[in-house]
Amino acid sequence: MNLLTVFAADGHDIDPARSVHWLWPADAELIYGTISSLIIFGLLYKFAGPMVVKAFKARTDRIQDDLDSSAAAQAEATAEAAQIRQAAGDIDAERQRLFADADAQAEALLAEGRGRLEAEIAELRSRADADIALAGSRVGDELRADIARLSNAATERALAAGVVDAATQQDLIESFIQRVGAAAQ
Amino acid sequence: MSTDARIDGYAKALFEVARAEGTLDEVEDELFRFARSYESSDTLRNALTDEAIPAGKRQAIVEDLLGDKATATTTQLVSMVVGSGRGRDLPAIVDRLVARASSSKNLSVAEVRSAVALTDDQQTRLAAALANATGKQVNLKVIVDPSIIGGLVATVDDVVIDGSVRTRVDQLKARL
Repeated sequence: MNLLTVFAADGHDIDPARSVHWLWPADAELIYGTISSLIIFGLLYKFAGPMVVKAFKARTDRIQDDLDSSAAAQAEATAEAAQIRQAAGDIDAERQRLFADADAQAEALLAEGRGRLEAEIAELRSRADADIALAGSRVGDELRADIARLSNAATERALAAGVVDAATQQDLIESFIQRVGAAAQ
Repeated sequence: MSTDARIDGYAKALFEVARAEGTLDEVEDELFRFARSYESSDTLRNALTDEAIPAGKRQAIVEDLLGDKATATTTQLVSMVVGSGRGRDLPAIVDRLVARASSSKNLSVAEVRSAVALTDDQQTRLAAALANATGKQVNLKVIVDPSIIGGLVATVDDVVIDGSVRTRVDQLKARL
């Protein structure tokens, strides 16, 4: 006997169509309601359960697919990142190579320019030396020519004036005879 | 007949005439001197080789020049060469004659150029010196040539011994 029955037995009239408590249903309602609920739950379990399971499974598969896609995308992104990093590395290496080439070309141009400049300086210096030597030689030649001309003129004047006198003539003749006589065959 | 053979022919003829006359040495010496004068004088050379002047006049020039300065044989021989129109060849003919005469005496011709005349003593000593130097007995021919200024130039066959002032002056000029 429940508590409601006790209250009802305590002197109050009990209407079986009405609940003995505002919260607690009537017994029949409780029984039928429970049975109905069990039936409904059974039907739900039988018919709606697979659909729910199927829906959950489909959702799980979709989530799994999404996860797989995400993993593939992540792998792809990782690969792309690796490629990008490699490309970045390549770019850096290319940049280094370009810088090295540029440095080498600049050095070569500098060396070539320096060499050309040195060659031009050497040529200018050589030409200047040659000019100086030529000028010196020309002056020397002119000086020698003047000396020779003056000497020749002086010699001819002296000879014309009869520098070789009679005594000298005899000395020359005697000297010649003695020299020839001394040179035995 | 070639010019060379003709010159040889004249030289041989002159040689034989001078030898037959017994004046070979004297004639040879006079001809040599005349030939050198002929070479050094343009006026004389032109006068004796000018075909426009008659041969007789050219011979008269020779006789005027040599008449009292050379033997008659020398004068006649030069006159004959000039008269025959061979005046141009006279030096060569005389040189061949001198060579022939020297060869007949086993001598080599020693042509000596001097600015002044040499004394007999100097010629004797010079001939001895040249003989000593060349190993050959020489027939000395002296030519007075003022152009050498001083000293001597001796030529024996193909040997030239030059001790002239002119050559020394020329060498000095070349060095300057």
